[in-house]
Amino acid sequence: MSSVSQYFSGLFTGIRSLMKGMAVTWVELWTKKVTAQYPENRDTLVISDRFRCELIMPHDTNNEHACTACGICVMNCPNGTIKIESEMIETADGKKKKVLKQYTYDLGMCTFCNLCVVTCPSDAIKFDNTFENAIFTRSKLVQTLNREGSKLREKKKETPAPVAE
Amino acid sequence: MILNYSQPLEFSNLSSWLDATLRNNLSEFWTLLIEFVLVGVLLLAAYAVIALVLIYVERKITAFFQARFGPNRVGQYGLLQSLADMIKILLKEIIHINKVDKFLFYAAPFFMVGASMLTFGAIAFGKGLQAVDFNIGVLYVTAVSSLGIIGVLLAGWSSNNKYSMIGAMRSGAQFVSYELSAGFALMTMVVLSGTMQFSEMINQQAYCWNIFNGHISSIIAFFIYLISGHAETNRGPFDLPEAESELTAGYHTEYSGLQFGFFYLAEYLNMFIIASIATAVFLGGWMPIQIKGWEAFNQIMNYIPSYVWFFSKTGVLIFFSLWVRWSFPRLRIDQLLNLEWKYLLPINLVNLLVMVILVLTGLTLTDLFPNWF
Amino acid sequence: MANQIIFYVLATIIAIFSVLAVTSNKIIRSALYLLFVLLSTAGLYLLLGYPYLFGVQIAVYAGGVMVLFIFAIFLTNKPGDKVDKERPIRRIVAGITAFTGLAFCAHVFYYNIARVFATVAIEESKIQVIGHTLMGTEKYQYLLPFEVISILLLACIVGSIMIARKR
Ligand code: SF4
Ligand code: SF4
Repeated sequence: MSSVSQYFSGLFTGIRSLMKGMAVTWVELWTKKVTAQYPENRDTLVISDRFRCELIMPHDTNNEHACTACGICVMNCPNGTIKIESEMIETADGKKKKVLKQYTYDLGMCTFCNLCVVTCPSDAIKFDNTFENAIFTRSKLVQTLNREGSKLREKKKETPAPVAE
Repeated sequence: MILNYSQPLEFSNLSSWLDATLRNNLSEFWTLLIEFVLVGVLLLAAYAVIALVLIYVERKITAFFQARFGPNRVGQYGLLQSLADMIKILLKEIIHINKVDKFLFYAAPFFMVGASMLTFGAIAFGKGLQAVDFNIGVLYVTAVSSLGIIGVLLAGWSSNNKYSMIGAMRSGAQFVSYELSAGFALMTMVVLSGTMQFSEMINQQAYCWNIFNGHISSIIAFFIYLISGHAETNRGPFDLPEAESELTAGYHTEYSGLQFGFFYLAEYLNMFIIASIATAVFLGGWMPIQIKGWEAFNQIMNYIPSYVWFFSKTGVLIFFSLWVRWSFPRLRIDQLLNLEWKYLLPINLVNLLVMVILVLTGLTLTDLFPNWF
Repeated sequence: MANQIIFYVLATIIAIFSVLAVTSNKIIRSALYLLFVLLSTAGLYLLLGYPYLFGVQIAVYAGGVMVLFIFAIFLTNKPGDKVDKERPIRRIVAGITAFTGLAFCAHVFYYNIARVFATVAIEESKIQVIGHTLMGTEKYQYLLPFEVISILLLACIVGSIMIARKR
């Protein structure tokens, strides 16, 4: 007798739980859609600050950056993404000094591992969250990060607040 | 009955007009020939179009159940999405595989499509919109739809691939078991209506659909038919023949391009066919909702053409099947067979007996309240 | 005219695929050819105007028996392998047996064809009539054979369960 009642109670609990499941999905059918419609929602789009999209070198209002051309980021990059050209110049007080001439970053080779940013002793580079990087030719992925005519920020000077690019 | 109302939008007006014109202008032979070809072309076109619409609807509703939008880029609201997919699948290369049993491999998709097309022919889409009206309609439908499984088995075997083989075996076991309860559920309704002919069955349901006519018994049969029909089409919680996580794509793993398209098409059409048979047998087919003795109401209801009724009823059932599909997790094979052999089949047999008793003792609604229904 | 053409097409299909079914080396192909034969036989029934028989033929043979055949073949050891040719003596014996069967059937048909044809032509195949004939107990009604066959099937089921559980 118990097996018979077990059969029927099993049947009815089964049906009840199935109904409950269907009720849940029925509610779900009318919930607000969560899909983000990307090109249309550009204005309201929120991308996390920590999202790594491309490497940038922040310049302040005096067109100065913090890169000392030490080459540590180049050494730490596992992919050879970064290339640094430096030159020796003579400063006003007659000292010889190595300054950055061109900082080349190849977005196509980068794996966004963040090692360069972490290891940079001067915090000269960081990752930006502008993600719309698609272009039609590969050569455009190779970017020069230091701006035209920019120079190294002097240490002693009062640093003006850096502006985000 | 229904013939007395004015039905200006009915398809049969057009078809009888066409028939009359052809007969006036041409000989008997040519009339028949043209009509046969027309019917054939129309059916094939309907087959393709319904599949496209179904694919779109399925993707939309699936998305809604998951709080997504579904296709909404190709055309307004993504309406052209399935058309684009169709063009893509037509252009795709059919990959020829070396170690398959060529003959069986290429024959298998045709079994699937052929079986569902044969079934498709017997569906009553509307008043006078039925290609063949066998007096054994229900038997014909169950018989012919069972041919599809041979395609699945052959596909699985000839692919020379263990995933396909296991998928086909599962599919076979599942289909053979659930075919039984689907057949019994239909048989219950045959007992109620006393005929196997779809047109006659539908005409009987003018005022009282079968699902109400046989009350308890009918409702049980209805749900059993939906469950087993759902299982036969390898969908929803019963899709373990194509369980991606364990069997890649099951029996159609090795198929590509148009051949895969055939399987895909047949799967969608089978869903439609199951729903439309359920409509015809339980929900009064293309019959509008009519209430005996309330002429004004009936007049309005009959103004809506019968194919609209048919497709909306079928649509509700298809929605139901999608709802089930996106609610429940996939069954294990032993759970699947338990459900059939320990629950559905015994309940079905008892239900059949109950229905016989109901009919014999005059306890159906039409017998109890002859004035109302 | 059209009937004749359809008949000849079906008959050719039946003849060709019957021969193929017994001569094919691969057992699964044989099964498929047999399926084609059964389907065209169903077509013949339809041509004769017996949709009921057509439905039953497809449901029972194509949908039921053939699926079980194919299933059983799958469950055997190596379904894809070619079957070896039998020893000549066996082939001769098998041939003689087959021809005896054929001769027997031909004899029966030849002597009864006129009568069978007459009854077939007269009767209308309404499924209600068939149903009543199967379940009735009067003269020319077949409840007893029907039940006997079902007992036979029951015995088969019990037997197969016994075999399956013996382990
Ligand atoms: S994120 Fe990684 S890969 Fe990219 S430039 Fe920096 S170190 Fe190289
Ligand atoms: S970015 Fe940083 S690590 Fe790289 S060269 Fe400049 S200062 Fe050195």
